[in-house]
Amino acid sequence: MIKEWIENNLKGDPIIWAIVLALSVLSILVVYSATGTLAYAKMGGDTEYYLMKHSVLTILSLVAIWGAHKIDYRYYSKLSKLALWVSVPLLMITYLFGNTMNEASRWLTIPVINQAFQPSDLAKLALFVTIASILSKRQQSEEELKESLIPILLWCGVICGLIAMSNFSTAVLIFATCMLLMFIGRVPVKYLAMLVMIGALSGAVALTLGQRGQTVISRVQSFLSDDESALPFQAQQSYIAVASGGIVGKGPGQSDQRNFLPHPYSDFIYAIIIEEYGMIGGVTVILLYLALLYRGMIVFMQSERAYGGLLSAALSFALVMQAFINMGVAVGLGPITGLPLPLVSMGGTSQLFMGISIGIILSVSRGELDEFPSDVKGNGKRKVAAMA
Amino acid sequence: MNIKSSILLRVRVAFLLVVLFAGAVVYRIFYLQRIQGDKWNKMAEQISLRYLPVKATRGNIYSDNGSLLATSLPFFKVAFDPSQPSDELLKKNLDSLTYLLSRTFKDNSAKEYRRRILEARKDKRQYLLLSRAEINYQQKKKIMEWPVFREGRNKGGIIFEKVEKRYHPFSTLGYRTIGSVDETEKGTVGLEYSFNNQLGGIDGKALFQKMAGSWRPVFDGTEVKAKDGLDIETTIDVNLQDVAESALLAALSDHNADYGSVVLMEVKTGEIKAMSNLSKNPEGNYWERYNYAVGSQGAVEPGSTFKLASMMALLEETDLKLTDTVQTGNGEYKFYNQVMKDHKPGGYGTITVKQMFESSSNIGIAKLVVEHFGKKPSEFIDFVKEMGVGQPLGFQMAGEGKPYIKSPSDSSWSGISLPWISHGYELKLTPLQTLTMFNAVANDGKMITPIIVRSVRKADKVVEEFEPRVINKRICSKETLANLRELLEGVVERGTASNINGTHYKIAGKTGTAKKYVNGKYVNQYYASFAGYFPADAPKYSCIVVIDNPKNYRIYGSDVAAPVFKEIADKIYSQDIDVHKEYRPAVAYQTEVFPVVRAGFLPELSMICNEFGVSNHEMADDEEWVKTRLVGKSIGWTANKVKEGLVPDVAGMTLRDALFVLENAGLKVRIEGDGRVESQSRMAGTRVSEGSEIKIKLG
Repeated sequence: MIKEWIENNLKGDPIIWAIVLALSVLSILVVYSATGTLAYAKMGGDTEYYLMKHSVLTILSLVAIWGAHKIDYRYYSKLSKLALWVSVPLLMITYLFGNTMNEASRWLTIPVINQAFQPSDLAKLALFVTIASILSKRQQSEEELKESLIPILLWCGVICGLIAMSNFSTAVLIFATCMLLMFIGRVPVKYLAMLVMIGALSGAVALTLGQRGQTVISRVQSFLSDDESALPFQAQQSYIAVASGGIVGKGPGQSDQRNFLPHPYSDFIYAIIIEEYGMIGGVTVILLYLALLYRGMIVFMQSERAYGGLLSAALSFALVMQAFINMGVAVGLGPITGLPLPLVSMGGTSQLFMGISIGIILSVSRGELDEFPSDVKGNGKRKVAAMA
Repeated sequence: MNIKSSILLRVRVAFLLVVLFAGAVVYRIFYLQRIQGDKWNKMAEQISLRYLPVKATRGNIYSDNGSLLATSLPFFKVAFDPSQPSDELLKKNLDSLTYLLSRTFKDNSAKEYRRRILEARKDKRQYLLLSRAEINYQQKKKIMEWPVFREGRNKGGIIFEKVEKRYHPFSTLGYRTIGSVDETEKGTVGLEYSFNNQLGGIDGKALFQKMAGSWRPVFDGTEVKAKDGLDIETTIDVNLQDVAESALLAALSDHNADYGSVVLMEVKTGEIKAMSNLSKNPEGNYWERYNYAVGSQGAVEPGSTFKLASMMALLEETDLKLTDTVQTGNGEYKFYNQVMKDHKPGGYGTITVKQMFESSSNIGIAKLVVEHFGKKPSEFIDFVKEMGVGQPLGFQMAGEGKPYIKSPSDSSWSGISLPWISHGYELKLTPLQTLTMFNAVANDGKMITPIIVRSVRKADKVVEEFEPRVINKRICSKETLANLRELLEGVVERGTASNINGTHYKIAGKTGTAKKYVNGKYVNQYYASFAGYFPADAPKYSCIVVIDNPKNYRIYGSDVAAPVFKEIADKIYSQDIDVHKEYRPAVAYQTEVFPVVRAGFLPELSMICNEFGVSNHEMADDEEWVKTRLVGKSIGWTANKVKEGLVPDVAGMTLRDALFVLENAGLKVRIEGDGRVESQSRMAGTRVSEGSEIKIKLG
């Protein structure tokens, strides 16, 4: 019966579904363990508070996946344009009036439900979908591709610039992902090189004008420095967590470093995973993300339309790149950033946007399957096919 | 499909890059675990991390006009890291250092200091508390100049630990009422205790790392910031408190009494303007030890002041008139097997009700009450309770003594209960509860609870406001009230308290002299009291004075307590112009006027100016304390250097700043008025001799 229900309701690539579910279960386990200290500091020791909150969000993000995968992916092209236009004023409002956390204003509080919301999550998703759409329409000649550069550059510049004012690492990640998308979308490498230059320049401007200049400089400096004593506290505690995990780890809920490591439930959750589940757990998580990316590629290969293919490639690369940057920070491969581990970290609305991302990938994967017999024609028929 | 395969190729390249990065992550895990594993595991053992509380700054307690009654100021404990200084440095300077330590703290000999430091150094200890003494900022600055210590924290090993200490600008004034705090700054008694939740704030929490013997905060973004405590605005008037306290102290010393209480209340508002409690310590000195006016130890048999309630019941519930007569006989009267006595030997004979009350005849009131209520004593008790006496006031200070009035249903009720209750025995009231009853008479029959805290504030913002609760809108009829006031005035004009008559304003009140009940029997010790209000024509203040166990031959409320009442009333009447007037103009708060900046602490002043967009710039180099000068449309800060050993210039400063500067200069400060400092009694720049006093006038 369950099998039947799954077949009727969870369409698209079953392996992606399986990976997402596996990561969600891990997420709830590790976040519950890692929020103990936070619960004592903020909620008077009510450790179940964060468990409940995170479980609800995880379920909601699964619902978001389900909802997003039911929608024909071609709608996302139009939706994303609208979302992009909305996100510009939102980002500005956030920068000027948003809630501050660690001296950076990244959050807006949605009035009625009183939930903090990061407009950069919306902007990020909208930007990737838009870029995939622009690129897919201009694959016929190099001339067309050149034309596509201007709108991409414009959007990428505006969004990254606004985000960089308050959240530099996210902006860099978005910019890098855009570059990768253009590379995949066959924009010639010489243009890309030019864009990187422009990006670096505007990044410097954002650093001087924005809120995060000092933080970025000191974090990068301490990363590049050889001096052991200059190792930032977070990195030091993270390394201790990784080193003490060993092969099999200390066991679920047995982390010691969660008490000292800042944000053990988001930025440094990978260190806690290794501490509790060891090298085996750490490698398994890596394999799960690689599998996810691989399945994203399969979706790409199977998709008939360039748009669908680029969309699925864009979103899976964006997600997995963020995952690897987060893991890289935890083990010391890069300077400290505040990026959560997608599908695992506790992170409010960003979890929902990650869910929508996955949902779109799944939508691409199933859209092609349904469309196969009747190809090109309109949506009406597709819906009938889906119901049947 | 050419396009597609080209894209596919690129996707594969990108995928490969991600796989490579994944490989690097796995390698890093391996590297951290296998190659550097020992290093990190060892570090985990060595580093000690701990979550420690971050103290919230305790709120201030203010008087009714905004004078500071209690505030927290920083003090320092001196500690030392003996492992830090070099051998050479220590060898050369240890003698002079230990000499200075011994001379300054006076708790150990130089030799002992030397031994402790060397021993700790030998044991490779990184922390040694040199003295328990808490020094102020000025002393800290001096110590920083000492040999070894002047090399600083790292080379010299000096550690200063900041402790916030409660400071009372008015010294011991109202000490027990304001209350005190323990070493963790938690209120133990008084308002500090009762309002500890508001004053205390909420401590924060932050991760600290132990480095070189002291805990340093790790700024990791997870700290929970401390929420500073709120201020409370009391109703205490500093001047009246001073008057009450000194009058009480004089009387207590005079009569060698055990303890005494004074409570002064504003009739209309219920605000406590002064509350003083002094008890004798074993050395024979008086100090504020227990709040008898409020607390349970103060709930005792009040004696004749309770006759006010009995009289009220008689006048209200029966058709008794003040001109009716009552036979008090020869001064002794037997109720069942118990003999009741009047003070006057031989008795008062046949007198009017009015005379009976004025001369405080016990027999008279007891006979009248028994005559009218003897068959139904519960009616008398119910009247008293319904009037509002006998219930706790719900006073703002914790630990209010529970009042007790015996009722006919109690197992201890006997035939003599009613006559004895009628003149203030077999029941318990605190002075504050008795005062509340007298205040109701003064307040045209409206009984309200006394209050001592007007509001809880956060800076200028009122967080919580308190108003007196109305216990009984009308305790009795207008006629009864007029009669009662006539009786109370008569007590002073002709009766037991005629010794305090003769003021050019009228006092109304009632004396009380109760025998004390000690270890199950009444002994020849007395509880003398006087409760009343003034000016009797238009009552402004009500007041109660209680003196416990006066010795030196005089024992009566009239002789012992009433003069204290008069002294307080006299002083208030001469000082308080408002008493002469019917109405007081509402205090006008000029919130829209920006306060003139004249002098103060530069970082704070410039922050305020910047917030308000007032252009300002520094004309002094690196000076903390500044004065202002107008330069065009902006403010220029000029140095107002605080020089050691010299009287600082505090003109124009706020009281808080002035206190800080003057106290640190070693001066004792006396304050007058409110606002900013207008003048100071010692000229700026003159020498300070240790412990000398300075008076500052605010305006």
